[in-house]
Amino acid sequence: MRSARRTGWLLAIPMAALAVATIYPLVFTANVAMKTRREYVLDRFALAESIRWDSFVAAWTTAGMARYFVNSVVVVSIAVALLLLLGSMAGFALSHLRFRGSRVLFLGFLAALFVPFQVIMVPLARTMADVGLLDTYAGLILAYVAQFLPFTIYLMTSYFSGIPRELVDAARVDGNTFYGVYRRIMLPLGKPALLSVGILNALFCWNDVLIALLVMRSADQRTLMIGVTTLRGQYSDNIPTFAAGVLIAAVPVLAIYLFFQRRIVDAITAGATKG
Amino acid sequence: MAVEGTPLSVRPAGAGRTDNGRASDRRSRRPDPGTRSGPPRNRRRLTSDRLAPYILVAPAVLIIVAFRLWPLALGINFSFTGDLDRDGQPVGLANYIELFRDPLFQIALRNVGLLVLLLPVAVAIPGALATFIFLRVPGHRFYRSVYFFPAVLSPVIAGAIFNLLLAYNGPLNRLIGTVGLGPIDWLGDPKLAMFTVVGVHIWATFGMALVIFLAGFATLDHALLDAARVDGASLPQVIWHVILPGLSRTIQFVVVTTMIGLLTSMFALLYVMTSGGPGGATYLPEYYIWVQMGQMNRPALASAASTVLFFIMLVVGLVQVAILRRAGRED
Repeated sequence: MRSARRTGWLLAIPMAALAVATIYPLVFTANVAMKTRREYVLDRFALAESIRWDSFVAAWTTAGMARYFVNSVVVVSIAVALLLLLGSMAGFALSHLRFRGSRVLFLGFLAALFVPFQVIMVPLARTMADVGLLDTYAGLILAYVAQFLPFTIYLMTSYFSGIPRELVDAARVDGNTFYGVYRRIMLPLGKPALLSVGILNALFCWNDVLIALLVMRSADQRTLMIGVTTLRGQYSDNIPTFAAGVLIAAVPVLAIYLFFQRRIVDAITAGATKG
Repeated sequence: MAVEGTPLSVRPAGAGRTDNGRASDRRSRRPDPGTRSGPPRNRRRLTSDRLAPYILVAPAVLIIVAFRLWPLALGINFSFTGDLDRDGQPVGLANYIELFRDPLFQIALRNVGLLVLLLPVAVAIPGALATFIFLRVPGHRFYRSVYFFPAVLSPVIAGAIFNLLLAYNGPLNRLIGTVGLGPIDWLGDPKLAMFTVVGVHIWATFGMALVIFLAGFATLDHALLDAARVDGASLPQVIWHVILPGLSRTIQFVVVTTMIGLLTSMFALLYVMTSGGPGGATYLPEYYIWVQMGQMNRPALASAASTVLFFIMLVVGLVQVAILRRAGRED
């Protein structure tokens, strides 16, 4: 037992080193964002002389991060709402209603999980161009919904399966239609799962670049992540503003992480262990 | 409401069984033929009941068919047509022949091979850390939170931050300079750049695999672990004889998801950190597809590359199924 404890302390050293390696990149970036350009050029490691927000203001206004931020918020919130609605509807049908083709449908959704976006992106761009969805909020929202719906359905189906059939039957005896059961039983009882899956989907959509690059072509339609990729070129001689822009894009994610860490982990591990 | 006569809402005999068997459900849910001639109110409700599942799944099916399955079919078809002045004309396998002759695509495929070789590293790191956390190294709770945190960051942000850290006069070169090494051109050296990008990918994603491993650990038999401890087994012995066999399922899951992650979610890092360079050294199929479609205006060639990538993913998936099936037999 004592030797086990000693090994424990020995392991703690590389683990602490790795923890530093995990956190330091962000600390470094935050420090750079607080500096003036002069400070950065003179010594990029020294602590910023004072806490200064100029670079954040510059990134927010002149670099257009404000506009990109709004684009991201609009697209992500609508996409997540749609994902939860459609995913829970289909999940309820697949978990509690028996109908012809339900098994095939479930397997079909599962198979769709394994089609990587890179495989469909060329024809998807063509299709979207044909129906006028390129460069629109609607196009990006639909692309996100299509991308993350199979995963959402899969998780909602497995969560709803845990809700006892007896509850559904009782509600039916009370005179509810299936829609009533969905609204009065499934949605309220499914809240924890909806929250977890919603947060995870919000992260996926917020962090995406590939789909956004494909659908959003013009500068004023950019999402925050595309904004970050263009910052480097614009601000190669002004690294503090670049760093501040990167942090602005990361802040919502960091906030979600701090508040909902447990829920994110739950959603990921539910997907992993129920498979 | 007097609906008790409706067979659909009555719990059938045997519904109390907990096996949740699909076959028995279906049998018990089929309405009695006698209800067809029931009162109109019931009949309307029956029709609504029969339609409800389809109405509930319809929007999801429509979106997935329109924006995932249809493009997939279209893309495979598209890969057999020409680009530029031969737009839309059937060209047989010409795109595929050109693809495999293209040195850039060859590098992309070679890099896929490199990813397969690096896969054990990408799995072993979170696996080892999860083991240490599970064995309650001092501060394990703190470490779990810290390690998981990069997993929620966008790869674009990770890439942008590492562009600063890996600069020639950046922090990492300064750090290795203090022990008398370097400086190293992390992203400019063609031999090194791919390893650097994979390293950043691992930094950004190992937390995800870590929490999956920890969920697997939660299902381990504690009595077995305690017995091994009492018998005086060393840490490596415990890991080898108790933890690894108990975790075989989780390990397989992590191996497959990590492989898929390596194959399909490095685009943003490549886009931000290297743009495929230096000299095409950091091309992967997904980046190749992007470049051919966008910059080169060769969508049909890009579709051929997509089809090849799909094939690679299919093989990965089938290997997974085969492994899982074998594991299932062992259980």
